[in-house]
Amino acid sequence: MERTKVRTATTTAVVLLLGALLTLTGLTWDVQWHEDVGPDTFFTLPHLFLYAGSAVSGIASLTAVLMTTAARRAGHAPDPTVGGVPVGVFGRTFTAPLGYLVAGSGAALFLLYGLWDQWWHGIYGFDAVIDSPPHVGLLLSIAMTLVGSVVVFGAARDQPWGRTGVFVSLAVLAGFSTIIAVAFQDVSDTVDSMHVAMAFLVLLTLFTGAGFVRKGGIAVAIGLALVQALSWWFSPWATRLYADSVGLPMRDYISGVPTMPALMPMTLIIVALLTYPVIGLAARWAPLVAGALAGALVVTAQAFQDGVVYDVPAPAVGDLLPTILAAAVLGLLAGHLGARFGQMLRLAAGDRPEGV
Amino acid sequence: MTVRRVVTVLVTTAALLAVTAPVAGAYEPVEIVHTEKVQAGPYPIVIGFSTWPVRAMQSLDFTFAVDGGVDGKTGVLAITAPGDSWREPLARHPRKRDVWGLDVRAMQRPGDYTLTFRVDGPLGHGEGALTPLRVLDQPGPPMALSWGISTLPLLGLIAFLAIAWRRTRRRLSVPTPSR
Repeated sequence: MERTKVRTATTTAVVLLLGALLTLTGLTWDVQWHEDVGPDTFFTLPHLFLYAGSAVSGIASLTAVLMTTAARRAGHAPDPTVGGVPVGVFGRTFTAPLGYLVAGSGAALFLLYGLWDQWWHGIYGFDAVIDSPPHVGLLLSIAMTLVGSVVVFGAARDQPWGRTGVFVSLAVLAGFSTIIAVAFQDVSDTVDSMHVAMAFLVLLTLFTGAGFVRKGGIAVAIGLALVQALSWWFSPWATRLYADSVGLPMRDYISGVPTMPALMPMTLIIVALLTYPVIGLAARWAPLVAGALAGALVVTAQAFQDGVVYDVPAPAVGDLLPTILAAAVLGLLAGHLGARFGQMLRLAAGDRPEGV
Repeated sequence: MTVRRVVTVLVTTAALLAVTAPVAGAYEPVEIVHTEKVQAGPYPIVIGFSTWPVRAMQSLDFTFAVDGGVDGKTGVLAITAPGDSWREPLARHPRKRDVWGLDVRAMQRPGDYTLTFRVDGPLGHGEGALTPLRVLDQPGPPMALSWGISTLPLLGLIAFLAIAWRRTRRRLSVPTPSR
C-alpha cells in the first residue's frame, strides 16, 4: 500500500477500535455504578461512554464504506487489505469492506436495540438487570462491532499494526463476552452455566488468536490480563470519583469488588501456556483436545477465583465435576471453531470469496 | 454559508441538549403509592411500594421505614420467593437515605413471597414478616418473543460465520502453516 492509503486505513481502523474501547470502559463503569451507587438516568457519564463508543465505531465504519464506494465509482479497484474483501450492499449502490460492514451493522443494531430497551423500561421499569432481553440485544450488537473490528485488523495482517489490532480486538471481545455469559446464570442448577458460557466465549477468542498466528492465543490472553487489570483499577475509582462529583453517597454494605473485571478469568495466561504444547501439534485433533483441557482448567480456576475475590468457600471438587465436564465439552467446540475462525481471518483480505 | 449552517445546527443541538439534560439527568424521587405494616418485635416498620400491585419482572422501589429512624439500628431482610430464597442486610435506599429500602428491584417470578425483617437496635432484637406479598404475572410480551427479538444479532453473527466458513472451506482444506 502507498503511504497515504496506509495512513487512512490505519486511522479508520484505530477510530473503530477506539469506539470499542470507549464502550468497554462505559460498560465496566456502568456495572460498577449500579453495584456501588445506584441512582440512574439516561445521561449518566458511564451511559454517555456507552453511547459514544457505538457512535464512534459507527461513524468510522460509515466513513470507510463511503470512501470505498467513492473510490470504486472513481474507477479504482478496492484494496481488500483496507477492512477486508469488498462486498456490494443494496445491489452495488455501496461497496463495503467486509469488516466495516459487520462493525457498522453492529453499531446500527445498537441504535435499534436502544429503542427496544427504552420500550422495555417503559413496561418493566428502570431495572438495573444486565441480562434483560434488550440488554442482551445491545451487548450482542456491540459484540458484532467487535467481530467487525477483528476482521478489519485481520485484513491488514501483513502490517504490524494489523496483527496488534487483531489481538487487542480479540482481548476486548474476550473481556466483553464475560458480561454476556451472565445471561446464562439461571440455565442450570447442577452446572455453573455462567462460568461454562464464559469459558466457551473466552476460549473462542483465544483459539481464534491461536489459529490466526502461532503465538496469537498467548497474545490474546496477555491482552485480556491487561483489560482486566486496567478495568479492575478504573471501574471502582471512576465510580467513587463520579459519585463524589455529583454529590451521591455510596451504598451501604458494598463489597468493594470490581464486578465486571471479577467475571474475567485471571488464569488465562497460565491456561494458554499449559495448553500451547497441545495447540502447537500439527494433528487435526490438537485444537479439540487443547480446547477441552482449557475449558476444564478455566472453570476450575474460576471457582477458586470467586472464592478468593468474594471471600466465600470454594466449592467441593465433587460439586464442580458437572461444571468441569460441561466446560470440557464446550471447550472442545471452542477449540475446533476458534482454530478455524483464526484461519479464516487470515483470508480476510484474500481475493473474492469463493462462490461470489 | 454552508459553514454557518453547520455551526447553527451544532449550536442548536448543543442548546437543546443543555436544556433537556437536567430533565433527563434528574434522579427520580421515590414516590410511594401503597404501604403495608409489619411489627418486628418492638419495631413497627412501614413498607412502601412505588408500584402497586407488584408484578413479576417489573422493577419498583421498596422502602422500609422503621419507627424512630434507621440510626443506631441494623437488620437483615430475608426473602422467600417461589423456588428461591435469599438474605441481604437492610441498607439505606440510595435515593431516600432516611429509610432502608431496595431501589428499582424486580421480583422475577410470580407467586407468593415472604419478606422477613430481623432488626437489632436500642430496644433489643425484633423479628416480623410480611406474608404473603402476592406478585402477579409479568406484564409485556411472552419472554420467548422478547428473547427471539433480542437474539437476532446472534443469529446474524452465526449466519455470517457460517457463510464465511463455507466460502473459505476449499482454501482451508489444505492446512496452511501459521506464521
